[in-house]
Amino acid sequence: MEDLAPRIAAYLAHRMPAASHVEVSGVSRIPGGASRETYRLTATWKEGGKEMRRPLILRRDPVASLIETERDVEFNAYRAFHPTGLPVPEPLFLETDLKWLDRPFFVMEQIENCQAGSPFNAAPYGPFAERIGAQFWTHLGRIAAADPVKTGFAANMKAIAPEECWKHELDKWEKVIDEDELVPQPVARAAIRWLRRNPPPPPPRVTAVHGDYRTGNFLFDGEGTIRAILDWEMCHLGDPLEDVAWAADPLWAFQQTERPGGMIARAEAFRLWEEASGMKIDPIRLRWWEIFNSLKGLAIWISSGNEYQSGASSDPILAFPSWYCTDVHNRVLAHRLAALSKEARA
Amino acid sequence: MKPDVPVVMRGLFGTMLMEIAPNLTAEYSAGSIGIMSMMIFMTAEEYDRAAEIRAAENAEMRALFAGAAGLVADAALKAKLSEAAKGRDASLRVSALDKDNSALAGLLIELQAHVEESTAPWSAGLEARIWDYLVAAADRRKLNFPALG
Repeated sequence: MEDLAPRIAAYLAHRMPAASHVEVSGVSRIPGGASRETYRLTATWKEGGKEMRRPLILRRDPVASLIETERDVEFNAYRAFHPTGLPVPEPLFLETDLKWLDRPFFVMEQIENCQAGSPFNAAPYGPFAERIGAQFWTHLGRIAAADPVKTGFAANMKAIAPEECWKHELDKWEKVIDEDELVPQPVARAAIRWLRRNPPPPPPRVTAVHGDYRTGNFLFDGEGTIRAILDWEMCHLGDPLEDVAWAADPLWAFQQTERPGGMIARAEAFRLWEEASGMKIDPIRLRWWEIFNSLKGLAIWISSGNEYQSGASSDPILAFPSWYCTDVHNRVLAHRLAALSKEARA
Repeated sequence: MKPDVPVVMRGLFGTMLMEIAPNLTAEYSAGSIGIMSMMIFMTAEEYDRAAEIRAAENAEMRALFAGAAGLVADAALKAKLSEAAKGRDASLRVSALDKDNSALAGLLIELQAHVEESTAPWSAGLEARIWDYLVAAADRRKLNFPALG
C-alpha cells in the first residue's frame, strides 16, 4: 500500500508556512463516503514555539466511484455551512494540483470519538433513536431554511428556477441510467415515464439540497448528539423536499416507512422539519420526490454496478449496492407504481 | 459438489465476519470483508434459485407477449411480440437465461410504454397484467439480508 504520510506532510508544510517539523501519522483509510477515498490521520507540527497536533480527514478523488462528483462542490458546502453552526467539519484545504497526491483532494477537521449508524440496521441508533431523530430532522430543516446565496453555498452553482428543479434532477439521473445500465430496467423506465407525466408543483423557494442526507451519513457521539453531517458530494440547488424524501426513503433501516431511517415517527419527523425550515410539506410534491428518490437510488446502484463490471474498480462497496440496493428500490418502486397505475386507470 | 454450495457459502460468510474481520487492523479492509461476507451470504441463496427465477420470468414474459400480440394494433410491435412469444430458453445456464431475459425485458419496456399511451378498452387490463408481472418478479428476486447480532 502506498505510504501517503510523507506526501501529506509535505503538502501540509506547503499550506502552513508558519509551521515547521510537520509530521503525519496514523494514516488509515476508513469506510464510508464511497465516492471518495477517505483517510483518517493526525498532523503534528511546531508553530510559534508550541507543539501542535490536529486530527484530520483527507478525502481524495478515487480512480472509480459510486458517483462522479466534483470535490470543490462538496468542499464549498462545508465552507458554507460550518460558520452557520450546523454540525459540519471545518474545511481546511482544497487541492487540485495532482503533484501532491496524484489526484485532487481536500482536507478537513476530524471529528473524534464519534460513530456513524449503519443504514442496513433496523435500529442503527439504539437508545438514542428519539434524541438523534429529533436533531436529524431539525438539522435538515435548518439546511432548507438557510439562504444558499448568503451562506455562499450557491457560489459557482448555476441558478435554477423553482419550476425547473424536478426536471433538472430527473434529466440528470435518467442520463446516468441511459449511460450505465447493464440490462434493461423496466421498473426504472416506468418510473421515469410516470415522473414525466406527473410533474410536481414547484417549491416555494430554491434551497440548498444535501443530496445524500440519510442514516449513515452523519456522526454522533456517546451522548447521542449529532456532531458532523457528512458526505455532501451530491449537494446542489433544488427543491428541499428532495432531501426530505431521501432521508425518509424505505431503503434505510429496512423499510420502516413509519419510522424512517430507524429514528423517530414519520409524522413527528416531518413536523420538526416544517418547524425548522419554515415550510410546509406538500404531500403531492413529496410523493413525486419519494418516487424520484427511489429512481435516483436505482441510478446510483446501476452506475456503481457498471463501474465494477467494467473493471474500473474491484472495490466491493461498488458491487454490493448494485445487488442489494437495486433489489430493494426495484421492489419499492414496482409496488408503488403498480398501485398508482391502478388508481389512474380506475 | 458436496458440501452443498449454499452450505459452504454460509460457512464462509460466518468465518469472514466473525473470525477474519475482527482480526484485521486496517479499517477499510475490515469494512470490505464485511461487505464481501454479505455478498457471499446472498450468493448462497442466489446459486440455488437463479435458474428457476430467470426461467419463470422468461416464460411469464413470453405468455404476456402472446396475449398482448392479440390486442395491440401497432403492426411492428405486434410482430415483435408474436416472435418473442414463440421463443424458448435453449439453455439453463444462467448466462444464457440472462441474455434471453434482457431481450425480453427490453421488449416489455416497449410494450408497457405503448400500453400506457393507449385508451383502447383492453389497455387497462394489459397494463395491470404487466404490473402484476413486474411486482411478482421484484418480489421473487428479493435478496435476504443476513440477520446479525
